Amino acid sequence: MIAPPNLEIAVLILGMLLLMFEAFMDKIDKRVFAFAGILGLTTVLIGTFYLAPVPQIDHASGFWSFYTADPLAIFFKRFALLTTILVLVMMIDYAPTVRGSVAGVTVQAGLGEFFALPILTCAGLMYIASAIDFVMIFVSIELVTISFYVLVSFTRRNPLTLEAGVKYLVLSALSTAFLVYGITWIFGVTGETNLDRITAALANSNIDQTAMLFGAVLVLVALGFKIAAVPFQIWVPDVYQGAPTPVTAFLSVGSKAAGFVVLLRVLRPFLMLPKMDRLLVVVALLTLLYGNLAALPQGNLKRLLAYSSIAHAGYLLIGVACFDGPAVTFYLVAYLLMTLLSFAVLIVVAQQAGERITDFDGLAKRSPFLAFAMLIGMISLAGVPFTIGFFGKFFIFYSALAHHQTVLVVVGAITVACGFYYYLKVVRAMYWRPAVKNDAIPVSGLSRVVMSALIVAIIWFGVYPEPILRALQPPSGQVAMKSAADH
Amino acid sequence: MITLGDYLIVSGLLFTIGFAGVMLRRNIIIIFMCLELMLNAANLSLVAFSRFRVDAGLPNYNAQVFVFFIITVAAAEVAVGLAIIVALFRARQTTHVEDIASLKF
Repeated sequence: MIAPPNLEIAVLILGMLLLMFEAFMDKIDKRVFAFAGILGLTTVLIGTFYLAPVPQIDHASGFWSFYTADPLAIFFKRFALLTTILVLVMMIDYAPTVRGSVAGVTVQAGLGEFFALPILTCAGLMYIASAIDFVMIFVSIELVTISFYVLVSFTRRNPLTLEAGVKYLVLSALSTAFLVYGITWIFGVTGETNLDRITAALANSNIDQTAMLFGAVLVLVALGFKIAAVPFQIWVPDVYQGAPTPVTAFLSVGSKAAGFVVLLRVLRPFLMLPKMDRLLVVVALLTLLYGNLAALPQGNLKRLLAYSSIAHAGYLLIGVACFDGPAVTFYLVAYLLMTLLSFAVLIVVAQQAGERITDFDGLAKRSPFLAFAMLIGMISLAGVPFTIGFFGKFFIFYSALAHHQTVLVVVGAITVACGFYYYLKVVRAMYWRPAVKNDAIPVSGLSRVVMSALIVAIIWFGVYPEPILRALQPPSGQVAMKSAADH
Repeated sequence: MITLGDYLIVSGLLFTIGFAGVMLRRNIIIIFMCLELMLNAANLSLVAFSRFRVDAGLPNYNAQVFVFFIITVAAAEVAVGLAIIVALFRARQTTHVEDIASLKF
Protein backbone atom coordinates (compact mmCIF):
# COMPACT_ATOMS: atom_id res chain seq x y z
CA MET A 1 0.00 0.00 0.00
CA ILE A 2 1.33 3.42 -1.00
CA ALA A 3 0.36 6.75 0.50
CA PRO A 4 -0.86 9.05 -2.33
CA PRO A 5 1.74 11.85 -1.86
CA ASN A 6 4.52 9.31 -2.39
CA LEU A 7 3.52 9.02 -6.05
CA GLU A 8 4.61 12.58 -6.84
CA ILE A 9 7.73 12.21 -4.72
CA ALA A 10 8.66 9.07 -6.66
CA VAL A 11 8.16 10.88 -10.00
CA LEU A 12 10.22 13.89 -8.85
CA ILE A 13 13.06 11.66 -7.64
CA LEU A 14 12.96 9.74 -10.93
CA GLY A 15 13.26 12.98 -12.89
CA MET A 16 16.15 14.27 -10.81
CA LEU A 17 18.00 10.94 -10.88
CA LEU A 18 17.75 10.89 -14.68
CA LEU A 19 19.13 14.44 -14.83
CA MET A 20 22.02 13.51 -12.55
CA PHE A 21 23.00 10.31 -14.34
CA GLU A 22 22.62 12.10 -17.64
CA ALA A 23 25.24 14.65 -16.60
CA PHE A 24 27.88 11.99 -15.91
CA MET A 25 27.23 9.41 -18.62
CA ASP A 26 28.32 10.84 -21.96
CA LYS A 27 29.34 7.59 -23.58
CA ILE A 28 26.07 5.68 -23.62
CA ASP A 29 23.13 6.16 -25.97
CA LYS A 30 21.00 8.83 -24.27
CA ARG A 31 17.80 7.12 -25.37
CA VAL A 32 18.41 4.77 -22.46
CA PHE A 33 17.16 7.58 -20.22
CA ALA A 34 13.87 7.72 -22.10
CA PHE A 35 13.41 3.98 -21.62
CA ALA A 36 14.32 4.33 -17.92
CA GLY A 37 11.77 7.14 -17.63
CA ILE A 38 9.05 5.09 -19.34
CA LEU A 39 9.82 2.14 -17.07
CA GLY A 40 9.79 4.30 -13.92
CA LEU A 41 6.55 6.06 -14.83
CA THR A 42 4.90 2.73 -15.68
CA THR A 43 5.87 1.49 -12.21
CA VAL A 44 4.30 4.58 -10.63
CA LEU A 45 1.22 4.09 -12.84
CA ILE A 46 0.86 0.54 -11.52
CA GLY A 47 1.43 1.94 -8.03
CA THR A 48 -1.66 4.16 -8.37
CA PHE A 49 -3.80 1.03 -8.26
CA TYR A 50 -2.42 0.06 -4.85
CA LEU A 51 -3.05 3.25 -2.91
CA ALA A 52 -3.55 3.30 0.81
CA PRO A 53 -6.84 4.96 1.80
CA VAL A 54 -6.46 8.57 2.86
CA PRO A 55 -6.40 8.86 6.66
CA GLN A 56 -9.64 10.33 7.96
CA ILE A 57 -8.01 13.24 9.67
CA ASP A 58 -8.95 16.85 10.12
CA HIS A 59 -9.03 18.40 6.65
CA ALA A 60 -9.12 21.91 8.04
CA SER A 61 -5.40 22.41 8.50
CA GLY A 62 -1.97 21.05 7.68
CA PHE A 63 -0.94 19.12 4.61
CA TRP A 64 -4.38 17.68 3.81
CA SER A 65 -5.91 21.14 3.46
CA PHE A 66 -3.63 21.63 0.42
CA TYR A 67 -3.69 18.16 -1.04
CA THR A 68 -6.50 15.76 -1.69
CA ALA A 69 -6.48 12.19 -2.94
CA ASP A 70 -10.13 11.95 -3.98
CA PRO A 71 -11.08 9.79 -6.99
CA LEU A 72 -10.94 12.75 -9.38
CA ALA A 73 -7.34 13.42 -8.28
CA ILE A 74 -6.30 9.77 -8.60
CA PHE A 75 -7.92 9.54 -12.03
CA PHE A 76 -6.03 12.57 -13.30
CA LYS A 77 -2.76 11.34 -11.82
CA ARG A 78 -3.13 8.22 -13.98
CA PHE A 79 -4.07 10.46 -16.89
CA ALA A 80 -0.90 12.54 -16.43
CA LEU A 81 1.31 9.46 -16.11
CA LEU A 82 -0.15 7.82 -19.21
CA THR A 83 0.24 11.04 -21.22
CA THR A 84 3.87 11.41 -20.17
CA ILE A 85 4.69 7.80 -21.02
CA LEU A 86 3.19 8.20 -24.51
CA VAL A 87 4.99 11.52 -25.00
CA LEU A 88 8.31 9.91 -24.04
CA VAL A 89 7.74 7.25 -26.67
CA MET A 90 7.18 9.99 -29.24
CA MET A 91 10.31 11.79 -28.02
CA ILE A 92 12.42 8.73 -28.78
CA ASP A 93 11.21 8.93 -32.39
CA TYR A 94 11.91 12.66 -32.39
CA ALA A 95 15.48 12.35 -30.99
CA PRO A 96 17.26 12.74 -34.40
CA THR A 97 15.60 16.14 -34.92
CA VAL A 98 16.62 17.30 -31.44
CA ARG A 99 20.21 16.25 -32.09
CA GLY A 100 20.28 18.47 -35.15
CA SER A 101 18.85 21.56 -33.47
CA VAL A 102 20.58 21.85 -30.11
CA ALA A 103 23.97 23.50 -29.93
CA GLY A 104 26.49 21.55 -27.89
CA VAL A 105 29.97 20.04 -27.86
CA THR A 106 28.85 16.41 -27.93
CA VAL A 107 26.65 14.72 -30.52
CA GLN A 108 24.00 13.86 -27.97
CA ALA A 109 23.93 17.27 -26.25
CA GLY A 110 20.51 18.14 -24.87
CA LEU A 111 18.92 14.73 -25.33
CA GLY A 112 19.11 13.77 -21.64
CA GLU A 113 17.34 16.94 -20.52
CA PHE A 114 14.78 16.50 -23.29
CA PHE A 115 13.81 13.15 -21.76
CA ALA A 116 14.03 14.23 -18.09
CA LEU A 117 11.97 17.44 -18.27
CA PRO A 118 8.65 15.77 -19.19
CA ILE A 119 8.98 13.64 -16.07
CA LEU A 120 9.29 16.73 -13.86
CA THR A 121 6.35 18.26 -15.75
CA CYS A 122 4.40 15.09 -15.03
CA ALA A 123 5.01 15.58 -11.29
CA GLY A 124 3.57 19.08 -11.65
CA LEU A 125 0.51 17.74 -13.47
CA MET A 126 -0.01 15.20 -10.69
CA TYR A 127 0.21 17.91 -8.04
CA ILE A 128 -2.36 19.98 -9.96
CA ALA A 129 -4.73 16.99 -9.92
CA SER A 130 -4.56 16.99 -6.12
CA ALA A 131 -4.43 20.71 -5.39
CA ILE A 132 -7.37 22.09 -3.39
CA ASP A 133 -5.74 25.27 -2.15
CA PHE A 134 -4.94 28.31 -4.29
CA VAL A 135 -1.33 28.37 -3.07
CA MET A 136 -0.88 24.77 -4.14
CA ILE A 137 -2.74 25.36 -7.42
CA PHE A 138 -0.46 28.32 -8.20
CA VAL A 139 2.80 26.56 -7.38
CA SER A 140 1.95 23.36 -9.26
CA ILE A 141 0.66 25.22 -12.32
CA GLU A 142 3.94 27.16 -12.35
CA LEU A 143 5.98 23.95 -12.08
CA VAL A 144 4.23 22.76 -15.24
CA THR A 145 4.42 26.10 -17.04
CA ILE A 146 8.11 26.76 -16.37
CA SER A 147 9.01 23.24 -17.51
CA PHE A 148 7.01 23.92 -20.66
CA TYR A 149 8.92 27.19 -21.30
CA VAL A 150 12.07 25.11 -21.60
CA LEU A 151 10.47 22.30 -23.56
CA VAL A 152 8.72 24.56 -26.08
CA SER A 153 11.94 26.39 -26.99
CA PHE A 154 14.10 23.29 -26.69
CA THR A 155 15.31 22.88 -30.28
CA ARG A 156 16.81 26.35 -30.17
CA ARG A 157 18.74 26.25 -33.46
CA ASN A 158 15.37 26.39 -35.18
CA PRO A 159 14.27 30.07 -35.25
CA LEU A 160 10.58 29.12 -35.44
CA THR A 161 10.88 27.16 -32.20
CA LEU A 162 12.53 30.08 -30.42
CA GLU A 163 9.80 32.39 -31.63
CA ALA A 164 7.16 29.99 -30.32
CA GLY A 165 9.09 29.80 -27.04
CA VAL A 166 9.12 33.57 -26.58
CA LYS A 167 5.43 33.89 -27.44
CA TYR A 168 4.55 31.15 -24.98
CA LEU A 169 6.78 32.72 -22.34
CA VAL A 170 5.21 36.19 -22.52
CA LEU A 171 1.58 35.08 -22.75
CA SER A 172 1.92 32.38 -20.11
CA ALA A 173 3.63 34.77 -17.71
CA LEU A 174 0.79 37.21 -18.37
CA SER A 175 -1.76 34.55 -17.45
CA THR A 176 0.23 33.81 -14.28
CA ALA A 177 0.03 37.47 -13.31
CA PHE A 178 -3.77 37.38 -13.78
CA LEU A 179 -4.00 34.19 -11.72
CA VAL A 180 -2.02 35.67 -8.85
CA TYR A 181 -3.92 38.95 -8.86
CA GLY A 182 -7.21 37.05 -8.94
CA ILE A 183 -6.18 34.87 -6.01
CA THR A 184 -5.18 38.04 -4.15
CA TRP A 185 -8.66 39.48 -4.46
CA ILE A 186 -10.31 36.22 -3.50
CA PHE A 187 -8.10 36.16 -0.42
CA GLY A 188 -8.93 39.77 0.29
CA VAL A 189 -12.67 39.06 0.25
CA THR A 190 -12.77 35.72 2.04
CA GLY A 191 -9.50 35.66 4.01
CA GLU A 192 -8.93 32.08 2.83
CA THR A 193 -6.99 30.27 0.10
CA ASN A 194 -8.47 26.81 0.64
CA LEU A 195 -11.29 26.06 -1.82
CA ASP A 196 -13.59 24.43 0.76
CA ARG A 197 -13.22 27.31 3.18
CA ILE A 198 -13.74 29.82 0.37
CA THR A 199 -17.00 28.03 -0.46
CA ALA A 200 -18.01 28.20 3.18
CA ALA A 201 -17.09 31.88 3.40
CA LEU A 202 -19.12 32.65 0.26
CA ALA A 203 -22.22 31.11 1.79
CA ASN A 204 -21.99 33.97 4.27
CA SER A 205 -24.13 36.74 2.79
CA ASN A 206 -22.19 39.80 3.98
CA ILE A 207 -19.19 39.36 1.69
CA ASP A 208 -18.36 41.76 -1.10
CA GLN A 209 -19.80 40.07 -4.20
CA THR A 210 -18.30 42.54 -6.70
CA ALA A 211 -14.73 42.16 -5.44
CA MET A 212 -15.13 38.39 -5.32
CA LEU A 213 -16.48 38.36 -8.89
CA PHE A 214 -13.47 40.44 -9.99
CA GLY A 215 -11.08 37.92 -8.45
CA ALA A 216 -12.97 34.94 -9.86
CA VAL A 217 -13.00 36.41 -13.38
CA LEU A 218 -9.23 37.04 -13.22
CA VAL A 219 -8.64 33.43 -12.17
CA LEU A 220 -10.91 32.23 -15.00
CA VAL A 221 -8.95 34.37 -17.48
CA ALA A 222 -5.75 32.62 -16.38
CA LEU A 223 -7.37 29.20 -16.71
CA GLY A 224 -8.74 30.24 -20.10
CA PHE A 225 -5.14 30.67 -21.27
CA LYS A 226 -4.29 27.17 -20.09
CA ILE A 227 -7.25 25.43 -21.74
CA ALA A 228 -7.04 27.60 -24.90
CA ALA A 229 -10.52 29.12 -24.64
CA VAL A 230 -11.48 32.09 -26.83
CA PRO A 231 -10.57 35.00 -26.37
CA PHE A 232 -7.35 33.75 -24.76
CA GLN A 233 -6.39 31.37 -27.57
CA ILE A 234 -4.08 33.70 -29.55
CA TRP A 235 -0.92 31.89 -28.49
CA VAL A 236 -2.13 28.40 -29.39
CA PRO A 237 -1.63 28.14 -33.19
CA ASP A 238 1.82 29.76 -33.21
CA VAL A 239 3.16 27.89 -30.19
CA TYR A 240 1.77 24.54 -31.34
CA GLN A 241 3.25 24.98 -34.78
CA GLY A 242 6.67 26.14 -33.61
CA ALA A 243 7.27 23.80 -30.67
CA PRO A 244 8.94 20.39 -31.11
CA THR A 245 6.08 18.04 -32.09
CA PRO A 246 6.15 15.75 -29.00
CA VAL A 247 6.06 18.87 -26.83
CA THR A 248 3.07 20.13 -28.82
CA ALA A 249 1.32 16.84 -28.10
CA PHE A 250 2.19 17.11 -24.41
CA LEU A 251 1.03 20.73 -24.31
CA SER A 252 -2.26 19.98 -26.02
CA VAL A 253 -3.14 17.05 -23.77
CA GLY A 254 -1.33 17.54 -20.45
CA SER A 255 -1.61 21.29 -20.08
CA LYS A 256 -5.23 21.34 -21.22
CA ALA A 257 -6.26 18.52 -18.88
CA ALA A 258 -4.56 20.31 -15.98
CA GLY A 259 -6.51 23.47 -16.80
CA PHE A 260 -9.78 21.57 -16.81
CA VAL A 261 -9.08 19.82 -13.49
CA VAL A 262 -8.42 23.17 -11.83
CA LEU A 263 -11.52 24.59 -13.56
CA LEU A 264 -13.68 21.75 -12.18
CA ARG A 265 -12.27 22.32 -8.71
CA VAL A 266 -12.64 26.12 -8.58
CA LEU A 267 -16.12 26.12 -10.12
CA ARG A 268 -17.64 24.85 -6.91
CA PRO A 269 -16.99 28.08 -5.02
CA PHE A 270 -17.27 30.27 -8.13
CA LEU A 271 -20.70 29.01 -9.14
CA MET A 272 -22.09 30.59 -5.99
CA LEU A 273 -21.46 33.93 -7.69
CA PRO A 274 -24.10 35.49 -9.94
CA LYS A 275 -23.91 35.25 -13.77
CA MET A 276 -20.99 32.79 -13.69
CA ASP A 277 -22.85 30.10 -15.62
CA ARG A 278 -23.87 32.49 -18.39
CA LEU A 279 -20.25 33.61 -18.77
CA LEU A 280 -19.17 30.00 -19.28
CA VAL A 281 -21.84 29.43 -21.95
CA VAL A 282 -20.69 32.48 -23.91
CA VAL A 283 -17.03 31.44 -23.73
CA ALA A 284 -17.93 27.90 -24.82
CA LEU A 285 -19.88 29.22 -27.85
CA LEU A 286 -17.05 31.54 -28.95
CA THR A 287 -14.45 28.79 -28.52
CA LEU A 288 -16.48 26.30 -30.57
CA LEU A 289 -17.04 28.74 -33.41
CA TYR A 290 -13.52 30.14 -33.54
CA GLY A 291 -11.71 26.80 -33.27
CA ASN A 292 -13.75 25.05 -35.92
CA LEU A 293 -14.05 27.91 -38.41
CA ALA A 294 -10.38 28.87 -38.24
CA ALA A 295 -9.37 25.23 -38.78
CA LEU A 296 -11.21 25.05 -42.13
CA PRO A 297 -8.58 26.69 -44.41
CA GLN A 298 -5.48 25.20 -42.69
CA GLY A 299 -2.93 23.46 -44.89
CA ASN A 300 -0.39 22.66 -42.17
CA LEU A 301 -1.43 19.60 -40.18
CA LYS A 302 0.31 20.71 -36.97
CA ARG A 303 -1.47 24.05 -37.12
CA LEU A 304 -4.72 22.27 -37.97
CA LEU A 305 -4.34 20.18 -34.82
CA ALA A 306 -3.79 23.41 -32.87
CA TYR A 307 -7.12 24.82 -34.05
CA SER A 308 -8.70 21.43 -33.44
CA SER A 309 -7.37 21.66 -29.88
CA ILE A 310 -9.20 24.99 -29.47
CA ALA A 311 -12.35 23.41 -30.92
CA HIS A 312 -12.17 20.51 -28.48
CA ALA A 313 -11.74 22.96 -25.61
CA GLY A 314 -15.10 24.32 -26.77
CA TYR A 315 -16.81 20.91 -26.51
CA LEU A 316 -15.21 20.41 -23.10
CA LEU A 317 -16.48 23.82 -22.00
CA ILE A 318 -20.03 22.76 -22.93
CA GLY A 319 -19.60 20.00 -20.35
CA VAL A 320 -18.18 22.45 -17.83
CA ALA A 321 -21.04 24.89 -18.43
CA CYS A 322 -23.43 22.02 -17.59
CA PHE A 323 -21.34 21.15 -14.49
CA ASP A 324 -21.03 17.57 -15.74
CA GLY A 325 -17.67 16.42 -14.33
CA PRO A 326 -17.87 12.80 -15.58
CA ALA A 327 -18.69 13.87 -19.16
CA VAL A 328 -15.75 16.31 -19.17
CA THR A 329 -13.40 13.66 -17.81
CA PHE A 330 -14.56 11.09 -20.36
CA TYR A 331 -14.05 13.60 -23.16
CA LEU A 332 -10.53 14.33 -21.89
CA VAL A 333 -9.68 10.61 -21.99
CA ALA A 334 -11.02 10.40 -25.54
CA TYR A 335 -9.05 13.52 -26.44
CA LEU A 336 -5.87 12.02 -24.96
CA LEU A 337 -6.12 8.81 -27.01
CA MET A 338 -7.00 10.36 -30.36
CA THR A 339 -4.74 13.43 -30.15
CA LEU A 340 -1.68 11.48 -29.09
CA LEU A 341 -2.30 8.93 -31.86
CA SER A 342 -2.50 11.69 -34.47
CA PHE A 343 0.66 13.35 -33.17
CA ALA A 344 2.53 10.03 -33.05
CA VAL A 345 1.81 9.48 -36.75
CA LEU A 346 2.59 13.11 -37.56
CA ILE A 347 6.04 12.85 -35.91
CA VAL A 348 6.99 9.77 -37.91
CA VAL A 349 5.68 11.14 -41.23
CA ALA A 350 7.01 14.67 -40.69
CA GLN A 351 10.59 13.41 -40.39
CA GLN A 352 10.39 11.78 -43.82
CA ALA A 353 8.01 14.01 -45.71
CA GLY A 354 6.80 17.13 -43.90
CA GLU A 355 3.98 18.38 -41.75
CA ARG A 356 1.75 19.88 -44.44
CA ILE A 357 -1.41 18.02 -45.39
CA THR A 358 -0.10 17.69 -48.96
CA ASP A 359 2.87 15.76 -47.54
CA PHE A 360 0.39 13.06 -46.55
CA ASP A 361 -0.70 12.52 -50.18
CA GLY A 362 -0.90 8.85 -50.98
CA LEU A 363 0.30 7.77 -47.54
CA ALA A 364 -2.03 4.77 -47.74
CA LYS A 365 0.07 3.35 -50.58
CA ARG A 366 3.42 4.19 -48.98
CA SER A 367 2.71 2.98 -45.42
CA PRO A 368 -0.75 1.46 -44.97
CA PHE A 369 -0.26 1.10 -41.20
CA LEU A 370 0.54 4.78 -40.61
CA ALA A 371 -2.32 5.83 -42.86
CA PHE A 372 -4.74 3.59 -40.99
CA ALA A 373 -3.56 4.95 -37.62
CA MET A 374 -4.04 8.53 -38.86
CA LEU A 375 -7.44 7.56 -40.27
CA ILE A 376 -8.57 6.26 -36.87
CA GLY A 377 -7.20 9.36 -35.13
CA MET A 378 -8.95 11.72 -37.55
CA ILE A 379 -12.36 10.02 -37.61
CA SER A 380 -12.28 9.82 -33.82
CA LEU A 381 -11.45 13.53 -33.56
CA ALA A 382 -14.32 14.20 -35.97
CA GLY A 383 -16.64 12.04 -33.87
CA VAL A 384 -17.60 9.17 -36.17
CA PRO A 385 -19.60 6.43 -34.39
CA PHE A 386 -17.73 3.37 -33.09
CA THR A 387 -14.82 5.53 -32.01
CA ILE A 388 -14.29 6.96 -28.54
CA GLY A 389 -14.60 10.49 -29.93
CA PHE A 390 -18.25 9.81 -30.75
CA PHE A 391 -19.09 8.82 -27.17
CA GLY A 392 -17.19 11.82 -25.82
CA LYS A 393 -19.34 14.20 -27.86
CA PHE A 394 -22.45 12.12 -27.17
CA PHE A 395 -22.12 12.44 -23.38
CA ILE A 396 -21.37 16.16 -23.65
CA PHE A 397 -24.38 16.88 -25.87
CA TYR A 398 -26.57 14.58 -23.77
CA SER A 399 -25.81 16.55 -20.62
CA ALA A 400 -26.29 19.85 -22.50
CA LEU A 401 -29.77 18.65 -23.57
CA ALA A 402 -30.53 17.56 -20.01
CA HIS A 403 -29.67 21.10 -18.86
CA HIS A 404 -31.80 22.69 -21.63
CA GLN A 405 -28.79 24.42 -23.22
CA THR A 406 -30.35 24.29 -26.69
CA VAL A 407 -28.11 26.98 -28.18
CA LEU A 408 -24.99 25.07 -27.15
CA VAL A 409 -26.31 21.87 -28.72
CA VAL A 410 -27.28 23.55 -32.01
CA VAL A 411 -23.97 25.40 -32.37
CA GLY A 412 -22.13 22.26 -31.26
CA ALA A 413 -23.83 20.18 -33.97
CA ILE A 414 -23.00 22.74 -36.67
CA THR A 415 -19.36 22.88 -35.62
CA VAL A 416 -19.14 19.08 -35.59
CA ALA A 417 -20.11 19.25 -39.28
CA CYS A 418 -17.23 21.72 -39.87
CA GLY A 419 -14.99 19.26 -38.04
CA PHE A 420 -15.91 16.48 -40.46
CA TYR A 421 -14.75 18.66 -43.35
CA TYR A 422 -11.28 19.50 -42.06
CA TYR A 423 -10.46 16.15 -40.47
CA LEU A 424 -11.60 14.21 -43.52
CA LYS A 425 -9.46 16.49 -45.71
CA VAL A 426 -6.47 14.67 -44.21
CA VAL A 427 -8.08 11.29 -44.86
CA ARG A 428 -8.77 12.27 -48.47
CA ALA A 429 -5.13 13.24 -48.94
CA MET A 430 -3.96 9.90 -47.58
CA TYR A 431 -6.34 7.62 -49.47
CA TRP A 432 -7.46 9.40 -52.65
CA ARG A 433 -4.46 11.44 -53.73
CA PRO A 434 -1.56 10.03 -55.76
CA ALA A 435 1.71 9.62 -53.85
CA VAL A 436 4.67 11.77 -54.78
CA LYS A 437 7.17 9.18 -53.61
CA ASN A 438 6.62 5.47 -53.19
CA ASP A 439 9.18 4.41 -50.59
CA ALA A 440 7.74 3.15 -47.30
CA ILE A 441 8.18 5.29 -44.16
CA PRO A 442 10.03 3.34 -41.47
CA VAL A 443 8.32 3.00 -38.06
CA SER A 444 10.19 1.80 -34.98
CA GLY A 445 8.87 -1.28 -33.19
CA LEU A 446 7.98 0.57 -30.00
CA SER A 447 5.98 3.23 -31.88
CA ARG A 448 4.18 0.55 -33.84
CA VAL A 449 3.15 -1.20 -30.62
CA VAL A 450 2.03 2.06 -29.00
CA MET A 451 0.09 3.19 -32.07
CA SER A 452 -1.63 -0.20 -32.30
CA ALA A 453 -2.53 -0.01 -28.60
CA LEU A 454 -4.02 3.47 -29.11
CA ILE A 455 -6.00 2.31 -32.17
CA VAL A 456 -7.38 -0.65 -30.23
CA ALA A 457 -8.24 1.57 -27.25
CA ILE A 458 -10.05 4.13 -29.44
CA ILE A 459 -12.19 1.47 -31.10
CA TRP A 460 -12.65 -0.67 -27.98
CA PHE A 461 -13.89 2.23 -25.82
CA GLY A 462 -15.88 3.51 -28.79
CA VAL A 463 -17.93 0.33 -28.73
CA TYR A 464 -17.78 -0.37 -25.01
CA PRO A 465 -17.18 2.77 -22.89
CA GLU A 466 -18.21 1.07 -19.62
CA PRO A 467 -14.71 0.64 -18.09
CA ILE A 468 -13.96 4.39 -18.18
CA LEU A 469 -17.42 5.30 -16.96
CA ARG A 470 -17.04 2.90 -14.05
CA ALA A 471 -13.65 4.37 -13.14
CA LEU A 472 -15.39 7.75 -13.14
CA GLN A 473 -18.19 6.79 -10.78
CA PRO A 474 -16.65 6.98 -7.36
CA PRO A 475 -19.03 8.10 -4.64
CA SER A 476 -17.33 11.29 -3.51
CA GLY A 477 -16.59 12.63 -7.01
CA GLN A 478 -20.28 12.32 -7.82
CA VAL A 479 -21.28 14.12 -4.66
CA ALA A 480 -18.89 16.98 -5.41
CA MET A 481 -20.30 17.43 -8.92
CA LYS A 482 -23.89 17.12 -7.71
CA SER A 483 -23.42 19.81 -5.12
CA ALA A 484 -21.89 22.01 -7.80
CA ALA A 485 -24.87 21.38 -10.07
CA ASP A 486 -27.33 22.25 -7.34
CA HIS A 487 -26.24 25.86 -7.10
CA MET B 1 -3.65 57.34 8.33
CA ILE B 2 -3.03 55.00 5.40
CA THR B 3 -5.96 52.64 4.86
CA LEU B 4 -6.35 49.35 3.01
CA GLY B 5 -7.97 51.25 0.16
CA ASP B 6 -4.82 53.30 -0.45
CA TYR B 7 -2.68 50.19 -0.74
CA LEU B 8 -5.19 48.62 -3.11
CA ILE B 9 -5.22 51.71 -5.31
CA VAL B 10 -1.42 51.71 -5.57
CA SER B 11 -1.42 48.00 -6.30
CA GLY B 12 -4.17 48.42 -8.89
CA LEU B 13 -2.15 51.19 -10.53
CA LEU B 14 0.96 48.99 -10.62
CA PHE B 15 -1.03 46.16 -12.16
CA THR B 16 -2.54 48.48 -14.79
CA ILE B 17 0.85 50.00 -15.64
CA GLY B 18 2.29 46.50 -15.98
CA PHE B 19 -0.57 45.30 -18.17
CA ALA B 20 -0.44 48.41 -20.36
CA GLY B 21 3.31 47.89 -20.71
CA VAL B 22 2.87 44.28 -21.83
CA MET B 23 0.29 45.35 -24.39
CA LEU B 24 2.00 48.49 -25.71
CA ARG B 25 5.77 48.13 -25.42
CA ARG B 26 7.69 46.52 -28.26
CA ASN B 27 10.87 45.37 -26.51
CA ILE B 28 10.68 41.87 -25.00
CA ILE B 29 12.94 42.77 -22.07
CA ILE B 30 10.64 45.67 -21.14
CA ILE B 31 7.58 43.44 -21.59
CA PHE B 32 9.20 41.01 -19.20
CA MET B 33 9.83 43.78 -16.65
CA CYS B 34 6.19 44.79 -16.90
CA LEU B 35 5.15 41.19 -16.19
CA GLU B 36 7.23 41.30 -13.02
CA LEU B 37 5.53 44.57 -12.12
CA MET B 38 2.15 42.83 -12.36
CA LEU B 39 3.30 40.06 -10.01
CA ASN B 40 4.61 42.64 -7.56
CA ALA B 41 1.28 44.45 -7.65
CA ALA B 42 -0.31 41.20 -6.48
CA ASN B 43 2.35 40.88 -3.76
CA LEU B 44 1.65 44.38 -2.48
CA SER B 45 -2.07 43.83 -2.21
CA LEU B 46 -1.56 40.41 -0.59
CA VAL B 47 0.58 41.96 2.14
CA ALA B 48 -1.95 44.77 2.58
CA PHE B 49 -4.87 42.34 2.81
CA SER B 50 -2.89 40.28 5.30
CA ARG B 51 -1.99 43.29 7.46
CA PHE B 52 -5.54 44.61 7.61
CA ARG B 53 -7.26 41.29 8.35
CA VAL B 54 -6.50 40.98 12.04
CA ASP B 55 -7.58 37.81 13.88
CA ALA B 56 -6.98 37.81 17.64
CA GLY B 57 -4.52 40.69 17.44
CA LEU B 58 -2.38 39.04 14.73
CA PRO B 59 -2.49 39.64 10.99
CA ASN B 60 -3.48 36.70 8.76
CA TYR B 61 -0.03 35.40 7.86
CA ASN B 62 -1.20 32.96 5.17
CA ALA B 63 -1.08 35.66 2.53
CA GLN B 64 2.42 36.73 3.53
CA VAL B 65 3.64 33.15 3.14
CA PHE B 66 1.97 33.08 -0.28
CA VAL B 67 4.01 36.17 -1.20
CA PHE B 68 7.21 34.18 -0.62
CA PHE B 69 5.95 31.49 -2.98
CA ILE B 70 5.19 34.13 -5.61
CA ILE B 71 8.65 35.70 -5.26
CA THR B 72 10.34 32.31 -5.61
CA VAL B 73 8.28 31.28 -8.63
CA ALA B 74 8.82 34.68 -10.26
CA ALA B 75 12.59 34.26 -9.81
CA ALA B 76 12.47 30.84 -11.50
CA GLU B 77 10.39 32.30 -14.29
CA VAL B 78 12.87 35.13 -14.85
CA ALA B 79 15.80 32.71 -14.92
CA VAL B 80 14.22 30.60 -17.65
CA GLY B 81 12.66 33.56 -19.45
CA LEU B 82 15.86 35.57 -19.76
CA ALA B 83 17.69 32.47 -21.00
CA ILE B 84 15.12 32.11 -23.77
CA ILE B 85 15.37 35.80 -24.64
CA VAL B 86 19.18 35.57 -24.78
CA ALA B 87 18.90 32.54 -27.07
CA LEU B 88 16.51 34.53 -29.26
CA PHE B 89 18.91 37.46 -29.38
CA ARG B 90 21.76 35.19 -30.44
CA ALA B 91 19.68 33.67 -33.22
CA ARG B 92 18.02 36.83 -34.53
CA GLN B 93 20.08 39.78 -33.16
CA THR B 94 16.86 41.43 -32.00
CA THR B 95 14.54 41.66 -29.01
CA HIS B 96 11.89 43.59 -30.86
CA VAL B 97 8.49 41.89 -31.06
CA GLU B 98 7.78 43.07 -34.60
CA ASP B 99 10.84 41.19 -35.85
CA ILE B 100 9.61 37.86 -34.56
CA ALA B 101 6.47 37.36 -36.59
CA SER B 102 7.34 34.54 -38.96
CA LEU B 103 4.74 32.11 -37.52
CA LYS B 104 1.56 33.01 -39.36
CA PHE B 105 -1.00 31.53 -41.68
